[in-house]
Amino acid sequence: MPKKILVVDDEPHLVKYMTAFLEDSGYETCSASNGEEALEVLKRENPDLVTLDLQMPNETGTRFYRNKTKNKLYKDIPVIVVSGLPGRHLAVSQPFAVFEKPVDRDALLEAIKKAIG
Amino acid sequence: MGGSVYGSPFKMLGAADKMLDMANFDWRRLLDALPCYVTLQDPELRVIWSNSVHRRDFGEPKERACARIYKLSKSQCVDCIVKKTLEDGEGHSRELQLTSKNGQRLNVIAHSAPFYDGANQLLGVVVTKVNITSVKEMQKQLIMVGQTVAGMAHSIKNIMMGLDGGIYIVNSGIKDNDQSEIKDGWEIVLLNFEKLSRLVKDILYCSREREPNYKLINPNLVVTDVYNLFKDLADRYSIEISLDLDSGLKYVVIDPDGLHTVLANLVTNAMDACKMDLWKDTHLIEIRTKTGDDGSTIFEVADNGMGIDKELKHHVFEEFFTSKGDKGTGLGLMVTQKILKEHGGEITFRSRPSHGTTFVATFPKRSVEDTKPGGES
Repeated sequence: MPKKILVVDDEPHLVKYMTAFLEDSGYETCSASNGEEALEVLKRENPDLVTLDLQMPNETGTRFYRNKTKNKLYKDIPVIVVSGLPGRHLAVSQPFAVFEKPVDRDALLEAIKKAIG
Repeated sequence: MGGSVYGSPFKMLGAADKMLDMANFDWRRLLDALPCYVTLQDPELRVIWSNSVHRRDFGEPKERACARIYKLSKSQCVDCIVKKTLEDGEGHSRELQLTSKNGQRLNVIAHSAPFYDGANQLLGVVVTKVNITSVKEMQKQLIMVGQTVAGMAHSIKNIMMGLDGGIYIVNSGIKDNDQSEIKDGWEIVLLNFEKLSRLVKDILYCSREREPNYKLINPNLVVTDVYNLFKDLADRYSIEISLDLDSGLKYVVIDPDGLHTVLANLVTNAMDACKMDLWKDTHLIEIRTKTGDDGSTIFEVADNGMGIDKELKHHVFEEFFTSKGDKGTGLGLMVTQKILKEHGGEITFRSRPSHGTTFVATFPKRSVEDTKPGGES
């Protein structure tokens, strides 16, 4: 069964790009456009990995990350931070990897493979 | 000094001799002609003589101590070069910030040199100060240029990510022969291309000194134009735009393109503030016009969006400052402020976090004579 990745980004175009790319690479995807929605999707879809944009309005990305880490069921799901602002990943502790926009597709894929195969 | 004056290429010897006599007789005339501050200070640090440039900017010394004349703080007086020279008889120099008699801040490089009498007895200190305020100003501008370039690189990176995505989806649509996917991807490419053109336009606007193209206009018509431009778009996000126009507003002299840009930027911001606010069910934007007591024309754009956080308030007008992530170039309010400045007006705002923001643009009263010939509309 293919592994599932949750893409969290408030920019619908980037969600489309990321999901298209990940599906072409053989993963299943689901998506959310803000932190609150992401938490719901996380519970519903139980993904194997999350790519998270931390630049969303109202800091919902950071809040989502904290809520996820607090929950025993989800705290071990690896998170890859995709951020437009250098240094922004410092807002969360221990992301699996950090990518600055524009994302290097091959490097991202490599990181995902390393995390969940 | 003597050597260079004697070796000067004066042809009219008579006149040169006369000048030399005067210079020897009254050296103060030479010091008065220098474009830097020259003072003579006694061992109690009192200024007992100053040259004319110094008197112009700091007033008559009246034997005041330098700390008083320049309004120096105690910390600035640590490491005093005059004291050092009094102690070791050597010359010293350092940078200082002085306050002139008009309250203007001046950056100077100060040099101190011992002042001896004929018997080699140290009488006091001669201090020369060169005004480097304009150099400091240039330094600040260079730093700003650096920050601007960094901000630009950041904006471009975000646009590149968008282009990257669009191209990827177009390519994958071509591979799968999927027309709708190609169309989706192409839309993303176009959108980001649009963003890039807007960014370049804004950058160019910021980098140019521009005279407003003053015309006699009815400001309410420009507001209505902008209203019509945004009405449908706002509707799509369930934001209601309304107008509250001062019908008594007469024709005024304003650059119509500038006003249009200002209003469009403010309404765009107001819409973004509403879109980013997740707490309220209905979102409203109101554009108001009115006449100020001094005859100025005031435009207000009020929204009940997310408001501006206290810690962000000071950055609002900075170049490339944006709280909108990918969506902002961070230049909109910068451009807006620039247009207002060019008009001699100002832009202010009041905001309550999670309640909303009102931006107020004030254009001063201007006479019809300011309009360009043939520029009336």
